[in-house]
Amino acid sequence: MKPWRKSKRQNNTRQPNLPGVFAAPAAQSRRLATPHDLALGVARGRLATAVALFALAFTIISGRVGFLTLFSEPGDSTSQHAQITDRTTGRVDITDRNGTVLATSLPTISLCADARKILDADEAERQLMKALPELDEKRLSNDLRNGKHCAMIKRHLTPKQYYEVNSLGIAGLEFQPDERRIYPAGNITAHVVGYTDIDNNGLAGVEKSMDSQLEEGTKPLALSIDLRLQSIMHSELSAAVDNFHALGGAGMIMDVRTGEVLAMVSLPDFDPQRPGTASDDARFNRDTLGVYEMGSTFKIFNTAMALDSGLIHVGDSFDTAHPIQVGHQFIKDYHPENRWLNVAEIFTHSSNIGAAHMAQRMGPARQRAFLGRLGLTEKAQIELPEVGAPLVPNARDWGEPTTMTVSFGHGIAVNAVQVVSAVAAIVNDGQPVHPTLLKKDSVPEANPNPVISARTSSLMRGLMRLVVTRGTAKAAEVNGYLIGGKTGTADKLSSNHKYDEHARLSSFIGAFPLNAPRYVVFALLDDPKGTTKTYGFATGGWTAAPVVSHVVSQMGPLMNMPPLDREMQAEAEKQVLRPLGPQIVDGMPIEEGSNYAAVESDSVQ
Amino acid sequence: MRLSSSDHLSLGDKLRHLNWAIVALITLIGLIGVALLYSAGGKNWQPWAFAQLTRFGMGLVIMLFLALVDIRFWLRAAYPLYWIMLFLLVVVEIMGHVGMGAQRWINLGFFVIQPSELMKIALTLALAKYFHGMSLEDIGHPIKLVMPVMMVLMPVGLVLLQPNLGTATLLMLASAGVFFTGGVRWWKFLIVFALVAAILPIGWHHLHDYQRARLMTFMNPGADPLGRGYNILQSKIALGSGGFFGKGFGQGTQSQLQFLPEKHTDFIFVVLAEEFGLFGALFLLALYGLLIAYGYLVALNCRNQFGRLTAFGLTTSFFLYVFVNIGMVTGTLPVVGIPLPLVSYGGTAMMTLLIGCGVLLGIALHRDMRLSRTGSYD
Repeated sequence: MKPWRKSKRQNNTRQPNLPGVFAAPAAQSRRLATPHDLALGVARGRLATAVALFALAFTIISGRVGFLTLFSEPGDSTSQHAQITDRTTGRVDITDRNGTVLATSLPTISLCADARKILDADEAERQLMKALPELDEKRLSNDLRNGKHCAMIKRHLTPKQYYEVNSLGIAGLEFQPDERRIYPAGNITAHVVGYTDIDNNGLAGVEKSMDSQLEEGTKPLALSIDLRLQSIMHSELSAAVDNFHALGGAGMIMDVRTGEVLAMVSLPDFDPQRPGTASDDARFNRDTLGVYEMGSTFKIFNTAMALDSGLIHVGDSFDTAHPIQVGHQFIKDYHPENRWLNVAEIFTHSSNIGAAHMAQRMGPARQRAFLGRLGLTEKAQIELPEVGAPLVPNARDWGEPTTMTVSFGHGIAVNAVQVVSAVAAIVNDGQPVHPTLLKKDSVPEANPNPVISARTSSLMRGLMRLVVTRGTAKAAEVNGYLIGGKTGTADKLSSNHKYDEHARLSSFIGAFPLNAPRYVVFALLDDPKGTTKTYGFATGGWTAAPVVSHVVSQMGPLMNMPPLDREMQAEAEKQVLRPLGPQIVDGMPIEEGSNYAAVESDSVQ
Repeated sequence: MRLSSSDHLSLGDKLRHLNWAIVALITLIGLIGVALLYSAGGKNWQPWAFAQLTRFGMGLVIMLFLALVDIRFWLRAAYPLYWIMLFLLVVVEIMGHVGMGAQRWINLGFFVIQPSELMKIALTLALAKYFHGMSLEDIGHPIKLVMPVMMVLMPVGLVLLQPNLGTATLLMLASAGVFFTGGVRWWKFLIVFALVAAILPIGWHHLHDYQRARLMTFMNPGADPLGRGYNILQSKIALGSGGFFGKGFGQGTQSQLQFLPEKHTDFIFVVLAEEFGLFGALFLLALYGLLIAYGYLVALNCRNQFGRLTAFGLTTSFFLYVFVNIGMVTGTLPVVGIPLPLVSYGGTAMMTLLIGCGVLLGIALHRDMRLSRTGSYD
């Protein structure tokens, strides 16, 4: 305690200074300084010091303000806006395989308003409504008055609109460079190419699946699609949908050697320029997103599996006279032959009972593995975002009953891409096919592990030819092109998972030319209704097979395949049927005039 | 109350001798605030400018009324006022525990008061009164300093509990100014400073997360430009965009486009700097400088210690408001939520400042009055 007491202030030294340092008022100086006055004096000194300090601080702060105001970053806040960039046509084009443009970007002008620069909002509103009558008057009125920096009035003005608005000369209206996606092929390629939003972000189809490539690419993206074939398929399928009052349809053409999809049509379709106005049904891609029980088409796979196993030969016969009981249900034939049929007859007449017997002998494990090799149990890999996963029975539930129904295409649902790819593999010597929508430059090298042997493939081609000449798909015949295939008619599963006997999917899958297979052509009609011309029948043979026939007859010449003359076709036909052996072919009656197309036996009762 | 005739001023005299220059300065600053709020509201009297103008008018009347109050009243009322405010702070603290988060207000129905704001005046008055009655010898006695230190620490502690770091800091600094001017010796400040430095690391642990974040943000606003550094960066951008003469009234993009949060309260200076540029910013700073200089002049010219210390304390408070706010806006100081005096939108802060100015004007008016220790003249 002592030290600080000693250091106590010495008043004497300070006292005399006071009057000198601070000019005290005259009245005060006359009096003797009291301790109180002393304190007051010290306070004055201290005050001066403090004020000096504060003045310094104040100067520093002012300097800081000056520095920031004059030298800080050029802080025009507009640079922080998420502005529409001035890039023009940044997104690359999409073309078909021949370079025809399917999607392109057009530089456009967008109009926005800076309300704070608009002098006379009433006048501006009146004039704008005159120039662009489609504007919403309420919104416009709001945009012109509510002090936004840039209220978007209208995107993508046409050059004429741009000229008109510009010549109004309204201050505060600003034009921004913009870009708009244009689809020259319109509806025809709508499901494949897809569409973008107003800012050109891909929302569907290739526009979506290839979004980043389109955004960053430099060269146009060439699809595998051939716009000519796409157009043919589109018109033929549309005609059939109209003719049979179908709900919709799906059509595909695939190059069996490369897996390239040359045409993919889904009906109903929509205008990709205005996707917002299209219904969900129209935007639904029935080729990829729709998974269906394909019905008898599956007998292709069932037969190929049986023949390829070596356990069943094309001449082996099965009892198709007696329906098979599966649980509470019976597998019956639609038009029973009521006799023993060999494998070729079962396939050509599309006997469910026969197919079931064959599958039964193969067993569930072999069937599941075989379908798996064909890519029918896994989701299809194709460059579209809209791909439906197949509905495949669990391995656990895949017992003998399932094996039998799957043999004729029930109890398993796949999309068209899967079926087309699988059939392409079957007809192309068992070479695995990977479907793609992108143009391929070369045919892949032969795969040493075919899904079926070349021998089985040749047998299948012969059998598919018999379906057209003597079986259920006579309507698919095309003069000059050796076409074969298989019809399919399946009852549609209704929403409550019960079969609706009156709603069906009718399809035909064809391959041509069978002497040197190149293309698989597929057509499916959703719930077609019979007409007087088809005697009321609406099966695949009557409705979908003609579509394929018409398409093939038009596309053949386009693909550098002149039609064969009668002799050459007869020769080629012999060649295709030879693997089956004369016994099989000659033993099969050609029933002139009978409507085999109607004789489909697809129902489970 | 003994009054000598020389000490007695008639109402007319008082009005004549009132420092009208200070009144004019205050009015000008207040009107600039109203104009800026008008601009920040999108050139609209709503939602801020009209309310601010009304309150400013009311505040001015109260200020002029207080200016006429005899300084001896303040000397006698200093302690009672201090205790009332301390009591209100305790009340707020209790209510704050009942409510959520920082409860700083007491709703009087017609008016919401923030005791921590009014405490700035009450504490200044109380400290001035304490030092007024002391000789230098007394002040040199450490034990005599225990009382005033307690007087400071009690409200500071309560304000910290609210928690309101900014106001607590201002209370401390303004009090330190009064201590210093009162004659407390230099080395004692050094000891306090060392003590504060020593307990800072401990204090850090007791800071609220948001307070810590504010300090961290102050150190490096760019680290979190969209989060905690947003205010500072945006305000710097706005300051930078003003240039020499600004973008014009109502044309500030940062402020008009809602980039700036709190643009009408703590960051109002940015609106000024953006719309009126360096010129406008320095003009307002000059007005503040003049007002503060007047305040210190009042202190300097006051013949009684109570008046001098009060004037000094109030002016220092005012200075700290300006300094901390502009320091915060320019990124020189951490964001602590101190309004720009008389300009920022907000009732209590302005009312407090105008009350303080009223007291200051009163001191200027009674500068020649000599006061006894107890509050009568000597």
